[in-house]
Amino acid sequence: MHTLINQLLSRADHIILGKSLQVRLAVCCLFCKGHLLIEDIPGVGKTTLAHTLAILMGMNYQRIQFTSDLLPSDIIGASIFDVDNHTFKFHPGPIFNQMVLADEINRSTPKSQSALLEAMEEQQVTVEGKTYPLPTPFFVIATQNPSHQLGTFPLPESQLDRFLMRIELGYPDHQAERELLKGSSRRSLIEKLTAHMSAEQLFVIQQKVIDVHVSDALLDYLQGIIAYTRISSDYAAGLSPRAGIALLHAAKAWAYMANRDAVLPEDVQAVLPSVAGHRLKPGSHDSQAIVAPILENVPVF
Amino acid sequence: MDVLTNRTLFVFLLTAIGLIALPHSSHLPGPLVIFFFVMLIWRFMGIWYPRWLPGKILLYGLTFTGLALLYQQHLGWFGRDPGTSLFMTALSLKLMEIKQQRDIYLIAYLAFIVAASQFLYEQSMFMAVYIVFVCSVLLAAMIMINGRQANIKASLKKAMAILMQVLPLTLIIFVFFPRVEAPRWLLFEDPNRAMTGLKDSMEPGSISDLGLSDELAFRVKFTGNIPPVASLYWRGPVFSYTDGKRWMQGRHQGTGMKPSVPEFNGDAYRYTLLMEPQDMPWVYALDMPAGFPGELFQNSDYQMLTRKEPDKRNEYQLTSLLQYNTGLLQEDERVRNTQLPGAVSPKIRHLITALQSGTQLTEQLVGNIMRHFREEGFSYTLRPPLMETNPIETFLFETRTGFCSHYAAAFVYLMRAAKVPARVVTGYQGGTLNEVGGFLEIRQADAHAWAEVWIKDRGWVRYDPTAAVAPERIDQTSYFQQQFGDELAQLVPRRNLQGSFEWLKTTRELWRSLDYSWQRWVINYHSANQLTFLASLGIAGLNKMIYWLIAGIAVFTALLSGYLLRQRQKPKDKALQLYARFCKKMTARGLVIRAGEGPQDFAGRINLVFPELAGPVDRITGLFIRYRYGKAPTKEDLSLLKEAISELRIKKGYSAKAKSRFNF
Amino acid sequence: MNALSLKDRFRLSRFFRGEKPVDGPIELNQRRIFILPSAPGFGFVILIFLLLLISFVYNNNLAYLLTFLLASIFFVTILHSYQSLSGLVLQQGQSAPVFAGEDAVFEVLIYNQTATARTQVQLSLENTLSFDIAAFSNCQARLQSRTSRRGWHHANTITCFSYYPLGLFRAWSPLRFNLKTLVYPKPWQYPLPLPQTLSGAAVSGITKRGVDDFAGVQTYYPGASIKSIHWKAFAKQQGLLVKQYSGTQGSELWLDYDETSGSVEERLSQLCRWVLDAEQQGLIYGLIIPGIRLSPDHGKTHQLNCLEALALF
Repeated sequence: MHTLINQLLSRADHIILGKSLQVRLAVCCLFCKGHLLIEDIPGVGKTTLAHTLAILMGMNYQRIQFTSDLLPSDIIGASIFDVDNHTFKFHPGPIFNQMVLADEINRSTPKSQSALLEAMEEQQVTVEGKTYPLPTPFFVIATQNPSHQLGTFPLPESQLDRFLMRIELGYPDHQAERELLKGSSRRSLIEKLTAHMSAEQLFVIQQKVIDVHVSDALLDYLQGIIAYTRISSDYAAGLSPRAGIALLHAAKAWAYMANRDAVLPEDVQAVLPSVAGHRLKPGSHDSQAIVAPILENVPVF
Repeated sequence: MDVLTNRTLFVFLLTAIGLIALPHSSHLPGPLVIFFFVMLIWRFMGIWYPRWLPGKILLYGLTFTGLALLYQQHLGWFGRDPGTSLFMTALSLKLMEIKQQRDIYLIAYLAFIVAASQFLYEQSMFMAVYIVFVCSVLLAAMIMINGRQANIKASLKKAMAILMQVLPLTLIIFVFFPRVEAPRWLLFEDPNRAMTGLKDSMEPGSISDLGLSDELAFRVKFTGNIPPVASLYWRGPVFSYTDGKRWMQGRHQGTGMKPSVPEFNGDAYRYTLLMEPQDMPWVYALDMPAGFPGELFQNSDYQMLTRKEPDKRNEYQLTSLLQYNTGLLQEDERVRNTQLPGAVSPKIRHLITALQSGTQLTEQLVGNIMRHFREEGFSYTLRPPLMETNPIETFLFETRTGFCSHYAAAFVYLMRAAKVPARVVTGYQGGTLNEVGGFLEIRQADAHAWAEVWIKDRGWVRYDPTAAVAPERIDQTSYFQQQFGDELAQLVPRRNLQGSFEWLKTTRELWRSLDYSWQRWVINYHSANQLTFLASLGIAGLNKMIYWLIAGIAVFTALLSGYLLRQRQKPKDKALQLYARFCKKMTARGLVIRAGEGPQDFAGRINLVFPELAGPVDRITGLFIRYRYGKAPTKEDLSLLKEAISELRIKKGYSAKAKSRFNF
Repeated sequence: MNALSLKDRFRLSRFFRGEKPVDGPIELNQRRIFILPSAPGFGFVILIFLLLLISFVYNNNLAYLLTFLLASIFFVTILHSYQSLSGLVLQQGQSAPVFAGEDAVFEVLIYNQTATARTQVQLSLENTLSFDIAAFSNCQARLQSRTSRRGWHHANTITCFSYYPLGLFRAWSPLRFNLKTLVYPKPWQYPLPLPQTLSGAAVSGITKRGVDDFAGVQTYYPGASIKSIHWKAFAKQQGLLVKQYSGTQGSELWLDYDETSGSVEERLSQLCRWVLDAEQQGLIYGLIIPGIRLSPDHGKTHQLNCLEALALF
C-alpha cells in the first residue's frame, strides 16, 4: 500500500513541480476525509493541483467555477418540470461527484458559498424537502484568492473550519520555474494522466489511518498545543475541540504516509500550519508564521 | 460561601464546644453548668429553627441572668473558679449571637480558653489527650470556615496534619521556654487546693489533690556528715487540737513554759539552714535541735521560731542530735494531747480494742496500728477522694487511701482513743542532695506530717505511719522517684513469671511508670526542674535557654518548610528520564534540544553534525519513539534504551569538530 | 525572573499594586507572595498571650503546653499560608472587546503544576472568585472590570489571595499583567436610520452589479428605502414590509462622521450603531471618520476593523 502512495506522490510531483510538501499535505487531507482549501493568488497552479489529485485518485470529478452570479441551484442542482411525466424531476448539480473542485470560491455570493459549505458539512443535499445523499468518498477542494482582491466575498470566518486544511502554494522556486517554462503545458500532461488508485483502495487507506496509534504522551503534546493557542495573546481565539480532532486526524494520516503505525510529535508539527493556520488567524495567509510561536514554545516532552 | 448558614459547620462547632465544656460540669457550680448547657442546646435547635434564637432584648436578659448567676455562685470575678465560669458563660452567651464570620472565631477562641482552664482542675494524661482532641476539632471547624466545602473528613484530616506538624515545635518551646515563678500576689489562691507548703492547720479530708510544688522551701548545708535520709525530719508546727476534721495548734499550745531541755545522745550534726522567704516565722530545724543562735527560740513543742522577718531569706547556724529524750509530760500537755472531739464512734472503738488486745507496752500498740495500715489494704496516693464528713472514720474504714496527713491524723486519733498522748507534727522530710553545691534542697513537695507519741521513760517518740504504707516516701530523697522508681526497676527483668496475670500486672506497672513520667516530666516541669534538667544537658542560664529556644525554632522551621514546600513534580516517565540523559550527553557536545523539537528532528540534526554517530543515535531515537509513542511499549525496549544510552560514547574530539561545523 | 533592585524590592506599591506589568506567566514565589496576619490572626495572638498569662499565674505546665501548641500552630500556619499560593503559575488569557458600559472580561489561567492540591485560592479584580485546584491541574478565572470609556481598557492589579487553612493569615500576591481590552463606543441607544446617501460610491470605482438576490421580507423599519418597500404586499394589506436582498445591492453605504451630530462621543456612538446595523443587514459599508477612511466591505473582520477605528479615534 505504501508503494502505491509513494508512486502516487511521485506522479503528482511530476505534474506539480517543486511543491512536494503541498502535494503531500493535500493527499494527507484526503486520506483523513477532510476538505481542502487552497489559497493563493491566481496562476500558481491551484487548479492544476486539484485536477491532478482527482484524476490520480480515480474519482469522478467536476469543477465548479464560482462567479458572482452563480446560484445555489447551479451547485446542488434543481428540480425541473418533466413535460412527459408531468412531474418535477431532480437534476443533480455538479456537487454530486466524488471530488468537487470549487474554483475561486470567494468570487460568488455568500449564499452560494453556504450552499456548498452546508453540503460539505452534512454529506447530503436537501432540495424541496427531499434529501439526496452525496457520493462517498466526497471531497471538496476549494481554491480561493486572497480576499483583498476587489469584488470578492471572503468565506465567513466561522465557516473556514469546515476545511480541514488550508494550504498556500506560493511561487515555484527557480528550478521549478525553469522546468515549467521549458516543459509542455500542464494541461496536456493532465489530459494524459490516468487513475492511480481505486475508491476501494482509498477506503482501505482511510481505515488504516484511523487505526494509527496515538499514545498518551502524544496527546499531552497535542493538548499542550491546544492550551497554548487558548492562552496566548497572539491569537484572538484558541483552537476549538473540533480543530483539535482535525489536528489529530491529520497527524495520523501524516504518520501513515510516512509508513509509521504511531503518531510522533513531528507529525503533528508537520500538519499544524495547514490545519491550524486558517482557524487561528483567518485574515493572515502565512500559516507557517502563524504557528511558529506554537512550534517554538510548546515543549514536546 | 456562606459560613453563617452552613449547618454542618455549626453542628461540628457546637459539638466541639459541648465536648470542651463537658469535664467542667464536675467541678463548676451546678446552676452555671446548667445555664451553659441550656444555652448550648438552645443554640443547637437554632441551627434548624433560626426563629427560636433569642432577639436582642432577650439576649440582654440572658446576659444579665448569666452574670447574676455567676456573681451569686462565686461572689467574685477573679480566681480559678470564677474565671472559668466567666469564660464559660461568655462563651454560651456569644453562641447566641453569631452574625459574622468574626463571631465564630471569637467563639473558637473562647472555647480554647475554656479548654485550657480544664488543666487548672485536672492534669492527667487522659485530660491532656482529650483536650488536644477537642482542640483539633476546633481547628477543623476553623478550617471548614476557610475551605469552601464543609467537608468534615478533609478538614479533620488537615487539622490532624497541622497538629502532627506542630508537635515537635511545641515540645521545643515547652522544653526551652523559661519558666518563671509567678509572683505571689498574682495567685488568686483557691481555698480548696493545698500547695504542699505548710499551714497553721491541717485538714486531710478536705483536700483531694495535693499540689506538688517544686518550690524551694530551704536549703541545708552540713558541715560534716549528712545524716541518713530516713532520719531527715525537719520539724515544723505541731498540732495537738482537733475538731475531728481539722488539726491545729491548741489555744495555749507551745506558748507555755519553756520546754524541758531534752537529754541528747549520739552524734551532733552541725549545719547551716538557708530559709527561703515565707509567711510564717517558722524555722525547720532537724529533729531535734540542740544548739541555735540567739535570733531563734524554741516553743514548748520544740518548734524553732525566728525573731527575724520571715519574708526575707535568712540563714541560721544550728546543731541537732538525732537521739533524744524529752522526759516527763506536763499535766496540761497530757490533757491537750489526749483531746478528742466528742465520743469515739463504736466502729473506731471496736478497732482500737482489737488492736489493743494483748498489748502491754505502748510500742506494741503502735506496732499493731502500723501493721494494720500495712496489711489491711491501705495505700498511698496524692489524689485521695474528698472526705468531707468524719474524715478519720471514712479513711480508716472506707477509702483507706491518702497521703501523709491522713495517716498521721488517723494514727494520732487512734492513739488518743487508746488514751495515749499523741500529736501531729508537720514539717519536711528528706531533701534532694545537690551534688554540685553539696547541700540539701528541701522543696515544698517534701512537706510531710508525722506523729509523736509520748512514752514513759522515752518522752515524745516520733512515729511515721506513712512509712508503714509507703516506706519509699521516707527512705529516699525525691519521693516521686522511689514511689515509682522501684516499679520502673522491676519492669525490665521480671518477664518470665507466670502467665497472663503477670502480663496484666506488667501493663499496670507500665501504665504507672508512664504516669510517673508524665508527672515528673510534664506536670512538674517547673522552673527548678527545668533548670536542673537543662543544666544536665549543659544548658545553664536564661540566656542559653533563649538561644536554644531560638535555635530550636529555627531548625524546626527550616525542616518543616523544606518538607512542606518541596515542589513535588509529576513523576516523570522512565523513558523521558533516559532520554534526558541522552540529551545531556548531546548538550555536552554542543547540541541542545529545543523546547519544541521532536526526537526525530533532533536525531536528524545530530546526524548532520555527527554523521559518525548515526547508528547509535538512530537506534536510541527509534527505541525511545517506540517506547514513548508506540502501540505496545515493552519493558525490554526500556532496558535496551538504557543500555544504548549508557553505551553512547562521544569522543572528546567531536566537540571541537562540531563547533567548526557550526561555524560553517 | 530578573532580579529586583534594592529600591524596587522595598517599594511599598509592590505589596499592593504589584510589580511592573508583564506579558508572560507569573509564578508565585517568595518574591511575589506576602503574608500578614488577618484580623482573626491578631485575635489569635491575643488569645495566646491570654493563655500564657493563665499558665504563668497558675504555673500550670499543661496550660503552658496548650499555649505553646497554639503558638506553634500560629507559627506553622504562616508556612501553610505560603504553601497555599506558592508554586501556582498564573497566566493571562484572552479578552474579548466590549462596548463601553459593559463589563470587560479578562481571562486568567491558574496552573497548579505541583502535587499539592490548593483550597480556596481567591482571585479578585472587581469581582472575587475562589477556586479549589487539584494537584497537576488548572483552572480558568474570568475576572470582570467595568468599562466606562471607549479605547483601551487596562486591567488593574489582580490580587491572588488565600486565607487557607485557618484564616489566621492572608497570603496575597498582587499581579499585573499586560491585560487590556478594546472598548468600543457605546452603540446609540435610540433607533437610528442608516444614512441614505451613497456619498462615496463614485470614489470606489466599482461597477454596480444588480444582484437582486431576493432574500425575504422584513417589517418596515424607519429609514428603509422607499424603493425596497414591498408595495404588492402592502396592497394586499399584509402590512408595510421591506424587501431584503442578500449580500449586496450592488451599492456601498458610506458611514460618514460628518453626517452625524452631537459631541464627538455621541457621533462615534451613532457610527457604532450604524456599523452594527449595516453588518447585520448584510450591507457593504465603508467608514469615514476624520483621518481614517475604511473602504466599503463587509464581514466580521471588516466590522471589527470599523469598530476598532471608532474605539481608538
